[in-house]
Amino acid sequence: MFFNSLSFALFLPIVFVLYWFVFNKTKSTQNALLIVASYYFYSCWDWRFLFLLVFSTFLDYYTGIRIEKAKTETARKFWFWLSISVNLGFLGIFKYYNFFAASFSELLNGFGLQTSPLLLNVVLPVGISFYTFHGLSYVIDIYLKRIKAEYNFVDYSLFVSYFPLLVAGPIERATHLLPQVKVKRTFDFEKAKEGVYQIIWGLFKKVVIADTCATYANAIFDHYQSMNSLSLILGAFYFAFQIYGDFSGYSDMALGMSKLFGLDLLRNFNYPYFSRDIAEFWRRWHISLSSWFRDYVYIPLGGSRGSKLKQVRNVFVIFLLSGFWHGANWTFIAWGFINALYFLPLLLRDTNRSNIETVALGWDFSSLKVFFSILSTFVLTCLAWVFFRAKSIGDAFDYISRIFTDQNFKIQYLENERYSYEILLLIFIFILVEWNARTKIEPISGSYSWLKVTLCIAAIVALGTYSDYKEFIYFQF
Amino acid sequence: MMKRFLFFTIKILLLTFMVLVVLDIAYTQVYLQSSHRGKIDYVYNSKARHYDVVILGSSRANNHFVAPLFEEKGLKTFNYGMSGGHLFEASLLLKLMVERHYTIKNVILEADLNLANEKESESVASKFLPYIHRSKVIESHFAQQPHFWDNYYIPFYRYIVFDPQIGFREMYDAAREKPTKLLDHLGYYPLGKNPNANMKNDLTNLKPLHNEYYEEIKQICKANNINLIAVMTPMCSNVKGLDYFLKVNAIYPEIHNYENAIEGDQYFSSCGHMNDTGARKFTTVIINEFFNK
Repeated sequence: MFFNSLSFALFLPIVFVLYWFVFNKTKSTQNALLIVASYYFYSCWDWRFLFLLVFSTFLDYYTGIRIEKAKTETARKFWFWLSISVNLGFLGIFKYYNFFAASFSELLNGFGLQTSPLLLNVVLPVGISFYTFHGLSYVIDIYLKRIKAEYNFVDYSLFVSYFPLLVAGPIERATHLLPQVKVKRTFDFEKAKEGVYQIIWGLFKKVVIADTCATYANAIFDHYQSMNSLSLILGAFYFAFQIYGDFSGYSDMALGMSKLFGLDLLRNFNYPYFSRDIAEFWRRWHISLSSWFRDYVYIPLGGSRGSKLKQVRNVFVIFLLSGFWHGANWTFIAWGFINALYFLPLLLRDTNRSNIETVALGWDFSSLKVFFSILSTFVLTCLAWVFFRAKSIGDAFDYISRIFTDQNFKIQYLENERYSYEILLLIFIFILVEWNARTKIEPISGSYSWLKVTLCIAAIVALGTYSDYKEFIYFQF
Repeated sequence: MMKRFLFFTIKILLLTFMVLVVLDIAYTQVYLQSSHRGKIDYVYNSKARHYDVVILGSSRANNHFVAPLFEEKGLKTFNYGMSGGHLFEASLLLKLMVERHYTIKNVILEADLNLANEKESESVASKFLPYIHRSKVIESHFAQQPHFWDNYYIPFYRYIVFDPQIGFREMYDAAREKPTKLLDHLGYYPLGKNPNANMKNDLTNLKPLHNEYYEEIKQICKANNINLIAVMTPMCSNVKGLDYFLKVNAIYPEIHNYENAIEGDQYFSSCGHMNDTGARKFTTVIINEFFNK
């Protein structure tokens, strides 16, 4: 059941009505309803993996209590490491086992030892990376005595399984979401209205921007060997907007529908393509994952303290882990590595926190400099996305080298019977809208909101891509 | 609070409905003005035409009957074969011609592989849908189809579902009258030689049906004094299950079997589609057989 499906368009209003009109007496009834709805939502993907979700929830709930109640440090450590290893074990088996087995086999073959890897025929449970990270952050916070263990199983289950964030985040923190589910929610019209606007804007980003860009990006990436320089540049450009529209659109819808239930989720995107350097980009892109790695990996490793060498090591560790989190493929690791390389000059010059304030442009020389910073950051990001999108690292290098060697900038007619330049105007308008809204959560609220809603709805129905259905990219992670 | 939200939601829903209605009207109006993008709008937005020969069928009609060769013989002809189409669409197109008071002396119907299918071909049938509220013929032809209710009663639904065929891009191209090649050569679409073509076909799983839409075409022709010439057109040499054509004749003996009329893969662009040279040879055979007597 996708957020942009007809079945979800029926599911959400039903849950909303039950939540506010039938199960609205206490926070327990509200939470119980959301749990049932979440488990139903998840079982629509594959009911068999519901057991995995429930087991993971119970494991972290139980070990969290045992860590808190442990009388000795050894017992604390035991329960902590039990939780960590089981969580990562599941993730490892379902997501990474085949990758490691195949890579190890290739390595042995490289040394002349002919082996065939023993691969598992398992499907990756949807959302496993997200709910595992929810659980991990909870257990680590208890272990580090940042929070108290949650004794109410229903409340804790809701924190892990809450359907808007269950399959593609944002990755929530117990410190942020648990306090909210522990009190009865009362309806707030302004918040709900904001939520509806955010859902509409998220849907626009998904079906109009992401899915349309996907049609063109796929046609270019899948036949990149017959594409000229211009098409290859456009392919990377389209994929940048595909992945942004897809993931930030999903996050917007998740945040928006949570507001309908009186809950606030962590913001996941903050107009990342207007970043002036890569450090700023990573403070604006998939914020909940970046901050997760910052708090649970980077800072424990020493963060920006210690020698430069140590700092460099820490940066590479989190970027490589971040890449690997996305999927068991060398392309994702290469993508993480490239981003670490981009980050390196900023770290060495201590300028990684120089662009904190909201970006502004005027008619002066400094604005020109800002504009080129944004442009160059975007170009670097697009080059890295080529690795993220390509089927192999070899393909990615080949793709990029063709951009520079082909030198042909004629407009091409693609396999999908469309010209490569066709959606540039749409993307340009989208960039302008986002630029004007960059200090807000979404661009619809404020003056002329009804006009903006009308335009959005018209664009969603008239310009959206529905026939060639595309899943949300981050569901595979 | 909740009351305000209820009103807000109702307003959004009403607004959505209005947007759908306005877009539906706008798109439909564009398609009502368009008559040169494809064969369906070419017929729908036309008045009475006179033809000696009208050709109907799928791509095996579209690519096989060279309409200009008929014209050279003094026969006013148009090839209305539609690539990807089934007999469902051929029948509807003929009904539309009759509704528009066309006078037609002969219909050449390609009736072979398409006899095995009574379903609509969505990619072709969807091009009739802009007119579904304007034409009783189209409305009643679609009435028994699975998604008739959605297409008919939900404004703009058909434009969303069939976006590649009648969605924004097509509407935009129709509005600016962007030409297509579909009406060139009097509707005949010549194919070239294709060195990478798959010159194999397997018809063993294909079973000809007592086809509802073929029957419908026969009835229309009879009722309107149109001479129906139903033919099976050639296939390449490497085909399994060639008894399919005999099975067709067992059900419909009146269908002329020209499966073997053109032999040699040099005349084919793919196994089921002749190239221009093959099509010209085949059309000459048909003209000699039916129009030189």
